[in-house]
Amino acid sequence: MRRRIHPALAAFAVVTFLFLLGPLIIIVGTSLSDTVFLAFPPQGLTLRWFENAFEISAFRRTMWTSFTLAVLGTALSLLIGIPAAYAMARYRIQLPRFLGTIFVLPVLVPEIVLGFALMKSVATGLDTPIYTTLLVGHALLVLPYCVRVVGASLAQFDFSIEEAAVSLGCPRWKAFLTVVLPNIQGGVIAAFVLAFITSLNDVSISIFLTGPGVSTLPIQLLAHMEQFFDPTIASVSVLLMFVTVAVMALVERTLGLTFLAK
Amino acid sequence: MTVSLTLDHVSASYGRTRVLEDLSLEVGAGELVSLLGASGCGKTTTLRLVAGFLTPDAGTIRLGERDLTRLPAHARDIGLVFQTYALFPHLTVLDNVAFGLKQRGLGRAARRAQAGEMIERVGLTGFADRYPANLSGGQRQRVALARALVIDPPLLMFDEPLSNLDAKLRVDMRVEIRRLQRANGTTALYVTHDQEEAFSISDRVAIMDAGRIMQLDAPEVLYSKPANAFVADFVGFETLIPMRAVAEAGDAVRVEMEGGATLDLPRAQWTVPGQEMIFAARPDGLVVAREGEGIPARLGLRTYLGRAYQYRCETAAGEVSANGPLSQPMEPGETAVLIPNPEQCCLLPASNA
Amino acid sequence: MTDRRLAWALAMPALLLVALFLGLPVLSTFGTTFTTDDGLFATYEAFFQSRFRRSVLWRTMEVATITTAISVAIGFPTAWVVARAPRTLKSLLIVAAVFPLLTGVVVRSFAWLVILGRNGILNGALERLGLIEEPLTMLYTQGAVIVAMVYLFVPLMILTLVGVLDAIPEDLTDAAASLGATPAATFRQVVLPMAVPGLIVGAVLVFTGSFTSYATPQLLGGERQMMMGTFLHQRAMVTFDWVGASTIAAIMVVVTLATVWGMSRLANRLNPVAG
Repeated sequence: MRRRIHPALAAFAVVTFLFLLGPLIIIVGTSLSDTVFLAFPPQGLTLRWFENAFEISAFRRTMWTSFTLAVLGTALSLLIGIPAAYAMARYRIQLPRFLGTIFVLPVLVPEIVLGFALMKSVATGLDTPIYTTLLVGHALLVLPYCVRVVGASLAQFDFSIEEAAVSLGCPRWKAFLTVVLPNIQGGVIAAFVLAFITSLNDVSISIFLTGPGVSTLPIQLLAHMEQFFDPTIASVSVLLMFVTVAVMALVERTLGLTFLAK
Repeated sequence: MTVSLTLDHVSASYGRTRVLEDLSLEVGAGELVSLLGASGCGKTTTLRLVAGFLTPDAGTIRLGERDLTRLPAHARDIGLVFQTYALFPHLTVLDNVAFGLKQRGLGRAARRAQAGEMIERVGLTGFADRYPANLSGGQRQRVALARALVIDPPLLMFDEPLSNLDAKLRVDMRVEIRRLQRANGTTALYVTHDQEEAFSISDRVAIMDAGRIMQLDAPEVLYSKPANAFVADFVGFETLIPMRAVAEAGDAVRVEMEGGATLDLPRAQWTVPGQEMIFAARPDGLVVAREGEGIPARLGLRTYLGRAYQYRCETAAGEVSANGPLSQPMEPGETAVLIPNPEQCCLLPASNA
Repeated sequence: MTDRRLAWALAMPALLLVALFLGLPVLSTFGTTFTTDDGLFATYEAFFQSRFRRSVLWRTMEVATITTAISVAIGFPTAWVVARAPRTLKSLLIVAAVFPLLTGVVVRSFAWLVILGRNGILNGALERLGLIEEPLTMLYTQGAVIVAMVYLFVPLMILTLVGVLDAIPEDLTDAAASLGATPAATFRQVVLPMAVPGLIVGAVLVFTGSFTSYATPQLLGGERQMMMGTFLHQRAMVTFDWVGASTIAAIMVVVTLATVWGMSRLANRLNPVAG
C-alpha cells in the first residue's frame, strides 16, 4: 500500500545504473575471453590473461610501486593529518577557520597542475629523487581525505571522555592513544582505505613523476594501452576492481557507505 | 459546507503486516473525533489513508458524497497539520500559508490578502516575512495551522500536532485549535497518544489497539463506562478482577469472585446470572475498611498519598491496590475488607478481556 | 604549553606539507609566467593570440559544460529514485554508484576504449544487427570524450544529490500534496528550490573535474581532441616548453577557482534560508 515511484522515473534509473555498471561488466567479460583480442561476450573462458599480467615484469614492478606508494603516502598523510584533524576538532576556538580550507587545497588545485608544479619545482628544481617526490605528491593528494574523514569521526567524539581520563591521572599523549584513538578507529580505517584507493588510482600527479625505473600501475596501463590491445589490460583492470570491492567492504564496516552520500 | 467523513470496512497492511483490520468510522459534520492509542495501534496509518499518502487494501473512504479512496492526495482537499509541522524552509511564513491558495490558482494579490488575514487570526501579525528557521516551536505550530486552515478545507486533520511543544504551550494551543475548528465548523480528525489532550479537545474519542477501534464514545462515557478491559485499563481502571454473576435483586446484581466473596453492584442489561465478567476499579474504587461487605484482604505495604493511604492488599484473586482514609491508618498484616465505591468501579463483559 | 600553542603545533606538520609542497611550487610555477623577457603578461597574450591554444581552452570549456549538463540531467532523476527507494534497495543502489566512483579513471576510460573502438563492441554489435556496413569512427571524437566523462562523473553527481534529496523530509512533499500541489508542482515549488544548493555543489565538482581531467581526453580524444590537461602535459613533457605549460596551469587554476567562487555565490543567493 506504499506509494510507488512513477514507472517512467524508475525505468530511467534502471537505465542509468545499466550505463554505470555495463562497461565494468564488459571489462570483466573481456578479461576472461580466450582470444588475443578484446571480445565481449567472451569467447571461451580462460584465466591466462591474469597469469600474463603477472608475467609482464613492467606490471609486476609497477603493481609493487603503486602498492607501497599508496601505503606509505597514506600512512604519512594520516600521521600528520590525524593531529591536524584533532587540533581542529578539539581547539575549534583557538585555531582560525581558514585552516580547514588550507587542508582541502589539494582538492581545489587541479591535480594535474599540482603534478606539474611538483615535477618542475621539487623533482627538477631541488633535484629531489623521483620516488620521494611521488611520495610527497601522493601524501598531499590524500591529505584532504584524511583530515575530512577523521574530522567527521572526531566531530562525533565526546571530548569529556578524554578529560575524564586526564583527570584520572592519564598523561595527555597516553589519553589520546588509549581513549581518543580507539573511539575514532572507524574513521581512521575508512580514511586509510579511501586515501589508499585514491592514491592507487592516481594518474594526474604520477604522470609527471615517472621516470627511468619508477612508474605506477595506472601510468604503466596507459602506456601499455597505447601499444597493445589485448585482454591483459582487462585482467589488470579486474584486479583493480577487486581492490575497489575490498575498500568498499571496509568502508561499509566502519563508517557505512552511505557516508559517501553526504 | 460541513460534511461527514466515513471510513467503511477499511483494511491496510505494510507488506505482510496488517496494520488496520476492517476499520469503520464516521466523523459527523462539524465534529472533532480523536484517534487515541499507543504507537503502532494504527491511528497514524488511518490518518495517512484519509490523506491519500497510503492506499487501503480494501474498503472505502468518503468525504460527504465524494469517494476519496482512489483519489491522489493532492486532489482530496484536506487540511493537514503535521507532527513535524512540515513547513517549507525555503518559503516565508506568508508564502507557506499562501502555498495552498497558489495551487488553487488564486492570483497573487488575493493569495497575499487571504494568507495575511489568516496569519493575523492565528496571532502571528508581524511575522509574515520571517522564515520558519527563525520562529519558535509555538509560532511554527501556528503557521502550520494557518496553512491548513486558509484553504478552507471540508476536513481538517491533525497528526500529533502538539507533541513537540512544552507542557504549557500544549494546553494553550489545544484550546486555540478547538476554538478555530469550532468557529469554522470544520469536520476534524485528530491523532494523539495523549489521553488528556484527546479527552479535552474532542467531541468523541476512538481508542485504538492493534488496528481496531476498541471503543468510540464521548470522553465522559469512555471515562466512566469503558466497554471492555482494554479501554478500562487505558482510562485508569488499574484493578481488574474476574467475577461471575450469581443473582439479581432490584437494581443490583450480586457477583462472586474466586474464594466465594460476593459484592452487590449496579446491574446492567447483560449482567444476567451465570455470566462471566470482570470487575474493574480505580484505586479509589475499593475502600479499605475494618469491617463491612466486600472483598476480604490481608494488608501489605502502606504508602502515603496525601489525600489517602494506599495499601497493597492480598486477596483470593491476587494482589490489588486500594485506598483507605487518613483518619484510620491500618498496619501491614491486619485483615480488612475492600468495599467497592460504585462511582469508581464498573463491570465489564469477560469476552473482551 | 597553552592550548593555543599545542593546537598550532599539532596542525603544523600538515600545514607545512601543504605550504612547502603545494603552495610554494604552484606559486613559483605561476611566477615564471610573469618573468619572461617579453613583459609581464606576454605569455598570456601569446596564449590568447594563438588560434590553436584558444581552441583548446574553448573545447575544454565546452566539453566540461556539456558533461556537467548531461550529468545533472541523468543524475537528478536517478538520485531522486535512489533517495526515495526502500532501505535495502537504496543501500544496493548506493553501492552500485560508489563502485564505479572508486574504480580508477584509467580502468573506466579503458572500458569506453573497448566499447567505442573501431573493432570495438559497439561497432561489432551494430554490424551484426546489419545497421552499418563499415565500422563507425567513434574514438578520438568530442562525443567519445563526453560520453566517457559523463560516465566518469555521473556517480559523483548521484551521490551528491542523494545526500541533498535525503535531507528533504517526506513530510514536506506530503504537506505540499495535502495543500493541493500536483507531483509536478511539488517538484517545481518544493523539491527543486531545496535541492539547488546541492545541485550547484554537484555541478561545480563535475565541471572542475572534467575541466582538469587528463587520462580520459588522453585515451579517448587523443591529439585531435586536445584539452587543457592533455595540452599541459604535452607542453611540459613532450615539447619541454615549461613557461607555456605554466601558463596553461595558471589559466586552469584561475578558471577552477573562479567557477568555485562564482557558483558558491550563486548558491548563497539562491538559498534564502542560509542565514
